[in-house]
Order: sequence, then structure tokens, then C-alpha cells
Amino acid sequence: MSASGPLLHRRQLGGLAAGALAAGALPAKAADASTFVNGWALPANLDPHQIFDVPMQALMLNAYDTLYRYEGDPPKIVPWLAESHTVSDDGLQWEFKLRSGLKFHDGSPLTSEEVVYSFRRVLALALAPAGAFLKVLKPENVTAPDPLLVRFKLETSYAPFFAAIPSICIVNPRVIKANEKDGDWGKTWLASNGAGSGAYRIIPTGYRPLEYLDLEINDGHFLGWADNPKPVRKIAYRPTKESSTRVLALLNGSLDCTDNALPADQVDPINASKIAQVVKDTIMRTYIIRMNNTKPPFNNLNARLCFAHAFNYSGFINEVLNGYATRDPYPMPDNLWGIPTDAKGYDYDLKKAKEYMAKAIAEGAPMKRPIEIHVQTENEQSVQGAQLFQADLAQLGINLKVVGDTWPNLTSSAAKPDSTPDMWVHWVSTYFVDPENWVGQMYDSQFHGTWKASAYYKNDAVDALLRKARGLVKQEDRAPLYQEAIRKIMADSPDIWIYNSISLMGINKRVKGRRFCTVGQGSEVRWLTLDG
Amino acid sequence: MLRFVLRRTALVLPSLLGLLLVTFLLIHAVPSDPAAALAGDAATPEQIARLRHQYGFDRPIFEQFLLYLDKVAHLDFGESAFSHRPVTLDIAQRLPATLELTFCALALSVFVGVPLGVMAALNHNAWPDYLLRIFSVLGIAMAAFWVAIMLQLLFSMQLGWLPLRGELSSTMAQPPRATGFLVVDCLIAGRWDAFADALRHLALPAVTLALGGLATIVRFTRAGVLDTLQQDFVFYERAMGYRWLRLVWIFVLRNSVTATVTQIGLLFGGLIAGGVVVEAIFDWPGIGSYTVQAILTGDRQVMLAVTLLVGTVYAAVNILVDLVHGLLDPRLMEQG
Repeated sequence: MSASGPLLHRRQLGGLAAGALAAGALPAKAADASTFVNGWALPANLDPHQIFDVPMQALMLNAYDTLYRYEGDPPKIVPWLAESHTVSDDGLQWEFKLRSGLKFHDGSPLTSEEVVYSFRRVLALALAPAGAFLKVLKPENVTAPDPLLVRFKLETSYAPFFAAIPSICIVNPRVIKANEKDGDWGKTWLASNGAGSGAYRIIPTGYRPLEYLDLEINDGHFLGWADNPKPVRKIAYRPTKESSTRVLALLNGSLDCTDNALPADQVDPINASKIAQVVKDTIMRTYIIRMNNTKPPFNNLNARLCFAHAFNYSGFINEVLNGYATRDPYPMPDNLWGIPTDAKGYDYDLKKAKEYMAKAIAEGAPMKRPIEIHVQTENEQSVQGAQLFQADLAQLGINLKVVGDTWPNLTSSAAKPDSTPDMWVHWVSTYFVDPENWVGQMYDSQFHGTWKASAYYKNDAVDALLRKARGLVKQEDRAPLYQEAIRKIMADSPDIWIYNSISLMGINKRVKGRRFCTVGQGSEVRWLTLDG
Repeated sequence: MLRFVLRRTALVLPSLLGLLLVTFLLIHAVPSDPAAALAGDAATPEQIARLRHQYGFDRPIFEQFLLYLDKVAHLDFGESAFSHRPVTLDIAQRLPATLELTFCALALSVFVGVPLGVMAALNHNAWPDYLLRIFSVLGIAMAAFWVAIMLQLLFSMQLGWLPLRGELSSTMAQPPRATGFLVVDCLIAGRWDAFADALRHLALPAVTLALGGLATIVRFTRAGVLDTLQQDFVFYERAMGYRWLRLVWIFVLRNSVTATVTQIGLLFGGLIAGGVVVEAIFDWPGIGSYTVQAILTGDRQVMLAVTLLVGTVYAAVNILVDLVHGLLDPRLMEQG
């Protein structure tokens, strides 16, 4: 199935209309000066121990607290509920000292017991947020030696443990246990309610899944509000499904911000308006074309190098994305530690691609067989990248078929090398800020069977380097190992690494004080004030 | 009449079972892994395998179907892989919004479409007829998403008369939910401010959704009335001096709307399906966007439940249409 579409998409139609209206639209009855109307997508449900994605990160930052938190740009992990931590020399024992006087939204105390309950709940549910912990942490090894001290004893030394700590929200066991059913850890109840201690509290009656959510300020938040004397009092999440509606709502003032995946062609109409502007932030989200290294011709190095030189990187970034991305030739974000900056990536060079193709053919690689690239049909950029690639490969005589697919199908297919497509397109977002999130889980062969490792790349030297780096605690010891591993991975060219994302978010000019961090992508509301 | 209803209902049950079986098989033919969807993006293969076993996805397909049927018989539609919430709860929260919008659009289509159709027939080949024919062709031809955006641009952005999206303003507190139908709940709670706000939010999506159906009803009513006007009883009554308008609006219309009523039954299904686009553009919190989300995320339990639900509602409306036919023409009821 070739991916194709109408000449004018709904979004483009809306974009044109928005452009025409940008100057003349009547403002809608604006939200009051204390309500921030947030156009971000909502997570699938409200339980931070069940869901772990960017919309959930945004909710977590506002409604929940964690032991440590990422703040700033570039992101720095800072103490939050914990005031400090220690780690044993062998990297097996971690201790976190809590602040005193912490309280949940219902006024009950937040101590180490509640932290222990939260981690045990995450491990018991064993859903997405547990991924970083399941292999190294047993529930009984999370303990509370005293009310302000939490101790973790790991099975093996695992440095990304600390990087993943900000992904676990501390929840209030008292309200959850009261709503448990059949030992479900309050899973059904917390999916529609809040049990946190964060800067804002969830209003359960103001929630309908994926449609709207209201939060009100927690005046008693442990951090206080001295640093923001005029904070937002209420957050009204009103996610919009259609880009055209989203932009119109921003332009008539009924939304204070869009999500941060604004299509590039909407930037100019918004910037031309009097009411809103677009903010651009470099985030850690890489765009990759995967190659199934077990299937010919991709099991041949020269074939892979041919494909790596046949993608028009700058054409895609500058023409299709209007320059709203940065070329990233590495298998992880170029703004993360562990990058070997001396390593050179691949350029668009069809002459070189032809040379590699000739070598591959001489080695018996079936370069002329029809090759499929699977795209996420609902995601325009995924289709556009594949179509551009198709045009360039056609010049080499390579027949690339663009196949429409969906994310769940693709991740399911990636469970086995035989069912994994020849090529497919996806992004890797920041689940935690550590090279483990990218190269560690993408190119260590122990992760084969997961969508992140769907290249099925295998290099014993790389495996050894990544495993060693994972077992060390200090960043300065780990960085050279990742650099070395990445050099080897790049030499083997198992995938095509294209760009690191720039997020584009439309925001009302009345919103001031925004702070950006790639984790949560600038969604933390506690710093904001609203003019007027 | 009760016998009639019971017989129709008995015929519906095997149809719904067939619908469920076909949907179940089709969904399972797609190579997605529901356990992977349940586990989430960051899950390990071990987590996925555990969930596959826990939810019985590793059992033979007919065993899975029988288990599912057993659950459905107890009104348990399972857990959404996407929201991790009971599907029954999700649907119960969303269905009223879709029904509210659909009934509103249907009412607009019928109460505006039928009089316009009669007007077109009474002015056959005169300018009102031409105008309504152009309108009905446009109404059917124009894509709902285009109409929606145009209405948003005119009434929300340029004139500022109506809200752009959603079912209630973000600054308006939700009324306590008794029935799930927002407009009704506002009335029950005596929240007149929220009632007016909800009606204003309902206007644009309802008009967008109604337009295609309205055009169809105009055409069917016009054709039916034109046909009836040629019948002998009309000439006879006119000759007897019966009041013309009374004759048209009661006797001619009653004899003309059989096809229109059938069309209304069919339209209902079309409105629910068409509502997917309208709900997405206006951010209407119904089952349309929920269904699209389920398809994109491979959420099998939701797809099955929504298919069964829409099938049931569609069957119920068709039984209702048959009943109305029987009331309009009692001979049909006698024939069964």
C-alpha cells in the first residue's frame, strides 16, 4: 500500500484559514487571569504508575512530586522531595534523605513509608514506568529505615537507576488503599483521580479521559510560592484533536497554548497574530529510519552504507520541516553527554551511495529486491521522510515501497526479526536522560525483541562496552565507554539517524515566566504567570 | 404491537452475534499485539509476555471469543489497553455526548428538512424549488470537515457569536452529572448559565452534522409529496373544498413520508459514523474520537465494544422506524 493523500489536508486548509484570519479574528471571551487553558494532550489515564509518555510527564510535573526532578535546559537532575542522596561504591545501595514536613494534597504526611509504597506499587503493576527498575529492583529491597530515609538495594549495579528516579511519582497510599478492588492497587480508581502532593491538585469532577481535566493550585506545596507571587490558580486542560481547531483556538484566545508538536507550516500565521507566538525549543527526540539488520540486503555493511548516503538529510530538514529540526548524525541526541563529537556522520551523497551499492551487489546483496519501509500513517512526517527517501533511492534503481502502518502494529511486529519490516520510521523520546535510553536499549543485543532494538544489531564489542557503562556509577567513567560504543555503532551503520527535534509550541502572549526542560517539554505550570 | 416488537428484537440478536463474531475475527486478523499495547512503550518483552498470559491473549482464538461472549453477557467489556480503564465506564461517560449531538442533528434534519421538502414540492419548478434543489445538492456534496472549518471561521473567529470547540467553556464549572447528557444535567441542576453555554457549544457541531441528512430529507420529502399530490384523493378533497394547507400538512404528508422515515433510520447510522469527523474538529467528547484513538492504538476491547454498541443502537432505531411505519400505515403492522 502506497501512502498518498488529498492535495489539501484538513490541517492545511485550517492553516490557510488561520493565516487569513490571524490579523482580523475577534478574540473569544478570554479565560480569566488566573486560569491557564492548556492545549496539551492528556495521558491515556491519570495514574502515573500505569502510563509513561510525554503527556503523562506533563501531568506528573504539575500534579505529583518525585524524589528528584529534571529542571533546566540542558536538563539537570535536582533534589525535589529528597534533599540529598548517597550511593555505595559498588553502586548497589542508594539512600535518599527526604525533606521534613512534606504533605499530600489531603494534608496527610509524606514520609519514607509512602515512598516505599509508591515504588512497590510501580513494581507490582509492572507497566511502562517499571521498565527501568524491574530487572534490578525487588519490592522487598525498597525499605524505610526511618521516616525520612529511603533505601534501595539493587540486584546489580545499574547507573541509569538514578536517571530514572524522576519518573516515579510518590502517591498517597491512604486514599489509594481506600479505593482498592480485588487487590488491584487502586488501579481503576487512580486512573480517574489524583493522589499526589504536587503544585496542583486534580479535581476529579473536572475530568473526562482524553477530553478535559481541571487542576487547582495546592497552596501548601512544599516548595511554597514565594518565587511566583502571582501563580496560575487553575489549569484547564482542553486538548484539541485537530491542528486547525488548535490554531484557531489559540488565535481567538480560548487556548493559552497548543501542544508542542505544532506543524511547521503553522508557525508564520501564529507569529503574524497579535495575540500569540511560537516558541521553539531543542528537545531530545531523535528521528530514525530503522533497518532490519537480519534481512538481506541489510545484513551487508556496504548495503547499509549505501542507504545511509541516499537520504537527503538537509533537504528533509530545510525543505520539508522548514528548518525546525537539527541534523543529528548520532544514534542519540547530540545535546546529551556521551557523544563522540569527533565522529563524523553520513552525508547525502548519491555518488558514494552508488559506489557502496556496487560493492554490496558484488558481495551478493540483493539490492534490487523490492524493499518495504513502514510508516506511521497518522503521522505526516513519518510519511514525508519515507517518500523523500523513495524518490532518491529510485535514482539508484532501488525499489522502495512505502507501507502505511500504525504504531501498535509496528511495535508488535518488531518483537521478532522475521516480522520486523525491512525498514521503518520512528522517533525515540526522552524516557529518562541517559545514554541508556537511546544507545543502551537500542544497540545492546539483550534488548532484541523490543521496538527500540528493532535493528537487531549485534556486535559483541558494543555489547560489552554498553554493559560495562551501565554498571558504573560515575558519569565521567561512563562517558568514554558510550563514546567508544557509538563510534563502533556508527561505523557499522545499522540505522539511519536523521535529526534531533525542535519542538514548536504556540503560546498566548499573556503567558509569562515559562521555563523549559526537555523532560516534560516545558509543561511545568508552577513558574507561569498570566498578564491581565 | 408487542408481538411485532418482540419478533423484531428476536431477529436482531443473531445479527448482533454475527456482527460481534465478524468484528472479532477481523480484529484478530490484524497482526498487532494487544499485550504490547497494554504494557506501553517502555515495556520489556517479559512484561508483555506476562500480560499476554494474564489476559488470555495466548489462548486459541475461539476460546478467547467464548470468554469474551461470557463477559459481554455480564456487561463486562474488559479493560481498554490505552486508558487502562474499564471500557464500560469509558463508554458510559462518552456515549451520552454522542447521542446528544446525534439526536440534536437528527432533530434539526427532520424538523427543518421535512417542511423544506414540502415547500419545494408545493413550489415545483418555481424558484423556491430550484433554490432548495441547489441547497440539497450542496448539502450532500460538501465534506463535513470543510463545512465545520468554514462555520468555525465565520461564527467563532469573525463574528465571535459561537464557541469554537468543546461542550462547555473552560471557565464554566461542570454541573453534577445525573444522566450524562450535559444539556439535561444542566436543566436538572438548575444551572441556566451552563445550560445556555452548552446550547451555544452544541450549535456548530449539530448544524455541521445535520447538513448532509437535512439535504437528503429535503429530497426524499419533496419526491414523496410530489408523488402523493398526483393521487386521486388529493384531487377529490380539493374538489370538495377541503382546506389546502390542512390537506397538505396532514394527509398528503402522512402518505408521503414512508420513504423519508426509512431514510431517517438509515441516517441515524450515518450520523453516528459522520460524527467521528465532527467530534474531532469540534473536540466533542463523544465516542467518535474514542473509537479513532482505539483504531490507531490497536485497542481491541474498545473496537469490539463500540462496534457492538453502534450495532445495537442502529438496530434499536430501525425497530423504532418499523414501528413508526406501522403507525403511519397500520396495514404494515398487520402484515408483520
